[in-house]
Parts: sequence; structure tokens; C-alpha cells
Amino acid sequence: MSGTEALRIEHLSISFGGLKAVDDLSLTIYDREIFGLIGPNGAGKTTVFNCVTQFYRPDTGNVHFRVDAERLHRHGHKAAGAEEIDLVGRPVHTIIRYGLVRTFQNVEVVPELSVLDNVLVGGHIDFKATMAEQMLRLPRARREEKEYRAKAHEVLAFLGIDHLAGRPAGGQPYGVLKTVEMARTLMAEPRLIILDEPAAGLNDSETENLAETIRKIRDRYGCTVLLVEHDMRLVMGVCERICAISFGKFLALGTPAEIQANPLVQEAYLGAPGE
Amino acid sequence: MTELDTRAVDAPAPPRRAAATLRNMPRNPYLQYALFGAALCVLPLLASAGVLKASTLSTLAFVLIFSIAAMGLNLLLGYAGLISLGTAGFMGLGAYLAAYVQDDIGLGFWVALLAALVIPTFLGIIVGIVSLRVRSIYLAIASLFVSEILLKTFEQVEWFTGGTAGKQSAYPVIFGIQTTRGSMFVVCAVALALVMMLTHNVVHGQMGRALHAMRSSEVAAKAMGVNVLKYKLVAFSVATAYAGLAGALYLFFLKSSYPSTWGLFLSLNVIAMVVVGGLRSIFGTVAGAFVIFAVPELVLKKLPVIGDISGVPYIFSGVLIVLVIMFFPHGLKGLVDLVVGPIRRARSNKEVTGA
Repeated sequence: MSGTEALRIEHLSISFGGLKAVDDLSLTIYDREIFGLIGPNGAGKTTVFNCVTQFYRPDTGNVHFRVDAERLHRHGHKAAGAEEIDLVGRPVHTIIRYGLVRTFQNVEVVPELSVLDNVLVGGHIDFKATMAEQMLRLPRARREEKEYRAKAHEVLAFLGIDHLAGRPAGGQPYGVLKTVEMARTLMAEPRLIILDEPAAGLNDSETENLAETIRKIRDRYGCTVLLVEHDMRLVMGVCERICAISFGKFLALGTPAEIQANPLVQEAYLGAPGE
Repeated sequence: MTELDTRAVDAPAPPRRAAATLRNMPRNPYLQYALFGAALCVLPLLASAGVLKASTLSTLAFVLIFSIAAMGLNLLLGYAGLISLGTAGFMGLGAYLAAYVQDDIGLGFWVALLAALVIPTFLGIIVGIVSLRVRSIYLAIASLFVSEILLKTFEQVEWFTGGTAGKQSAYPVIFGIQTTRGSMFVVCAVALALVMMLTHNVVHGQMGRALHAMRSSEVAAKAMGVNVLKYKLVAFSVATAYAGLAGALYLFFLKSSYPSTWGLFLSLNVIAMVVVGGLRSIFGTVAGAFVIFAVPELVLKKLPVIGDISGVPYIFSGVLIVLVIMFFPHGLKGLVDLVVGPIRRARSNKEVTGA
């Protein structure tokens, strides 16, 4: 694998009450790659993910993320060119500004808001109008609202659910809510999308469509996708490279075929041979 | 599937939106608030014509004033999911500040109004910063303490509040016009209509969505870049600003203020107005204020046996809160939706299929 690095995790460790949830994990994900992180239940997949997005503060290690200058500038940082930043220690709500967006295992949409408004939540950081401007509906606030509304419709159309834009999110089928969450991440024009078990709760044909959607998103938005997943069909079907972990430790890294053939991975999933 | 999607990408934004905007013109919310305010302005005329009793006009004025405070609490409780038990304290502070600046210092209506807005808000921000950093529930506790401290202050600091004997004031002069009871009612109606419009703007834009996201899931809101502490503070400071404004209007309308008004009962009553009216409903809040404040005053106290029981309003709001939470969790607004909802849904379905 070649290309520029998108995310580099170095010697990441975190423990909860003496239990090492992630133990000295290092891995590199390249630009525009669809990368899978797999492991049996309790392997620490979601913990890795939470350490990357700073929901947890890792005990040791770094998470380097490559940000383009234009984006840094847009959010008020001074930067000469593309820059690599260490995410560790940054407040959770600032992470999205660098172009790193996540979804949630149990979809987190606001049931009281419409589908469109839920997608607009993803554009939160792009609004520049001050509170006073919003309260008085001054021109800038109105213009921004209109502009991002159109953008949200575009994203919904891209994912094929624009006809539901005006419907309340509460009461929509699970598959639609997952798509809404995906649309919300796209509003932020992500560099890296982290999907937390996107196939959980989907049926076979929905999972099939999801794989298609993930590829489509990568091609259209030119972003990197990190998938934390249980569903082997999805991972093997869509990922270009996969990293397997077990008990918080690195197990194997390779193409889907290599991972499937790896005896260590088989052992972790099915138990030691001969047992 | 793929074919269908590509077509969707190429399709422009739905063209029926422009047409829908036109059709919705009578439903324009700003127009609704303005018409509501204008309709209220007729009431003083009815009073001077003798159709409406002067005491009834006063009761309705207090409904408008409490609606303003309740609107702030609705933003806090309904959107941010936070609770304040100190609305009365901030209202009282607004009232005494207005009296002090207008009558004791003599700076006039506008400066008095500004003081009643800014100083309680500033105090609110400090209370919010201290308590919200820890956990949301501490805001309720901290605001209750501050409100009780303010209440003691109102009783003790006589140069500022007149102590338990009360503070007397006068109808203000606005734009060179000496107001009266009737014109102060109009001022309250205009203020309420403006507050409704401002609240509408707050909840229907980026801020409102951020508050929604935060209430629904703080974790998800953070992942979307919402600075949760900042938005909690914003909601609370808007609520205190509205409370300060309501306090000032209360003073200007009644021309006096007594510490006993600004106790915990009022704070709880404001919460009752929001819950009974319906969370996240602007007109519902006004309806809630009417039910909680005006119904005991205009109806219950005049009933033969019930009216003689002391503390009828207390019992009334208590029982109502329990009933609403048990049977109508969406309050009066939910009740209206129950009736109007099916009609509106049928109409919008027709629009969708007809387009």
C-alpha cells in the first residue's frame, strides 16, 4: 500500500481499572482507503475508535491526523500547508473541525427533528453567523441557512432519501435512520469517516446496499473510511485492508483474503485448534 | 438500486419548495405572532369601553408577563433539557433594578429596561459557568440557592428594594409619552410578540438544532462539533434575560414590587406553565401561562366553596402538573395536535401526492 497517510495511530494504550482495553496498538491508514477494524466481542474495537475521536483520553500513544491547510484556515487555525496534528488531548467537539466524523452504533438522531434538520446538525461547525445574527435573522444567518439547507438536500439526494427530508426522524425505519446518520457526517465534508458497526441491525439486502453506499461515498467525497464492524460479509466485501485485534492487542493486518487465511485470526474467532 | 441513485444525484433540489412557500403564507409564524400581539392590543380598548373589567385586564397583563419568563424556561427545559428553579429570583432582580434605575437614579425607561436585561443575565452566566461545568442537575440546585439569596436580599437591602414594605414606582415615559395602565398593557403585548419571534428564530436555526442534538444525546452532539457547555450557557442566559425583562415589565405594570412575590412558588409556577402549555411550543407557553395564572384568578377564586379555600392556586397548579405529566405529556399543545394533527396530515399528504 502506498499513498499519503491519513491517520497514524502510534503505541496506543488505555486501561480501565487495571484491565488493558487497548494494548500498545499501532496502525496506519492511508488516504482514500476503506479500512476495517475487526475483532471478537470485547476485543477493544470501539475503545480504539473512542480514543481516536477523543471520547476517551488514551493513557499513552499518539493519534496523528493529516489535515489540509484549507480546512485549518477555515476554522481559524494558522497553517502554511497540509499539516499533521496529534488529536490526543483535544476537546471532543473540536475533532470534527479537522475533518474526522463518526457515526454511532445505536443511531443517534434527534427524533423530534425532521430528517433534513438532523442532517443539518452535521453542518453545525460551518455556520459563521453569530448568535445575535441568528436571533434577529440578519442577512448572513438567512443566507447560511438557505445555503446549507440546499447542501443537505443534495446530500440526501445523493444517498437516495431526499423524498423523506421533511418527515420527522422519529418513526423512520432503522435503515433510513442509519442513512440519515451517514448523511449527517457528509455535511461536514469529512476527510475520514469512522463508522461504528454500520451493519448492526440491517438485513442482508440492506447490508449489500450499505457496502455500495460506502464505496460511493469514498469515490464522491474522496475521503477515507474506517469501519469498525462485526458483520464479516460487509468487512470482507468492502474493505481494502483489515486490521484484526484481540484483547486490545494487534493480531494481524492485510487484505481480506490474507486476514481470512490467517491462523491467528481464525483462532481468535473460533478458539484454539483442537479445542 | 444503483441506477436509481445516480438519477437522484443529478436531479436538482425539489422545485415544489417555492410553490409550498407561497401556499404557506397565511401560516407564516411571524405574521401569526404579530397578529396575536395586535389582537391583544385591542383588550385595553375593551377595558376602557367597560366591556372588560379593569381587574381582568390586569390579570391578563400578568399572563403576558409570565409568558415571557416561561418562554425562556421553555427554551431551557424543552430544548436544552435543563431546569432552573430560580426564575423568580431573576425576575425579582429585574423588577427592582428597573425601579431603582428609573425612579431612584432617574435614568428613564430604556436604561432601566437595559439594566433589568443585562444584570440578571450576567449573574445567570456566572451561576451557569459554576454549576454547568459539573453536571446539568447542579444548575437546578445553584439557581434555587441564588434565587433564595436574592429573595433575602430583596427583604434586607432597603435602600435598593424598600425591604418588606415594598418598592413603589410609576408608569414609565416611553418615547416622550406618559404611559397608563392601558398603554403599559400594549407595551407588554408588543414585548411578548417580539419575544415569541426571537424565540422562534433561536429554535429554528443552527442554535435550535444544536440544543436539540444536545438534549437528545450529548455524546452525539459533541461528535458533531457542538460545544455543549457553551450551548447550555446560551440557553440559560436567554432564559435569565427573558426573566429579567418579565420582571421589569411586571414592575412597570404594577408600579410596585414586594419580596413575597419572588419566592419559590413563582419559579415552580413558571415551570408549571411550560409543562402544562407543552414543551417546545411557543403558543403553548402562553396558553400554559393563562391556565396556570389566570384560571385561578378569574375562575376558581370566584367559585362558591372552592374560592374560599386559601391557597387554591397552589393546589390547582400542583394537581394540573400531575395530571398533565400522567395523561398529556405534551401538554395543551399535544391536546391541540391530537385534534388538528390528522387534518393537517391529510392535507400535507395531498400536497405530496398532488405535486
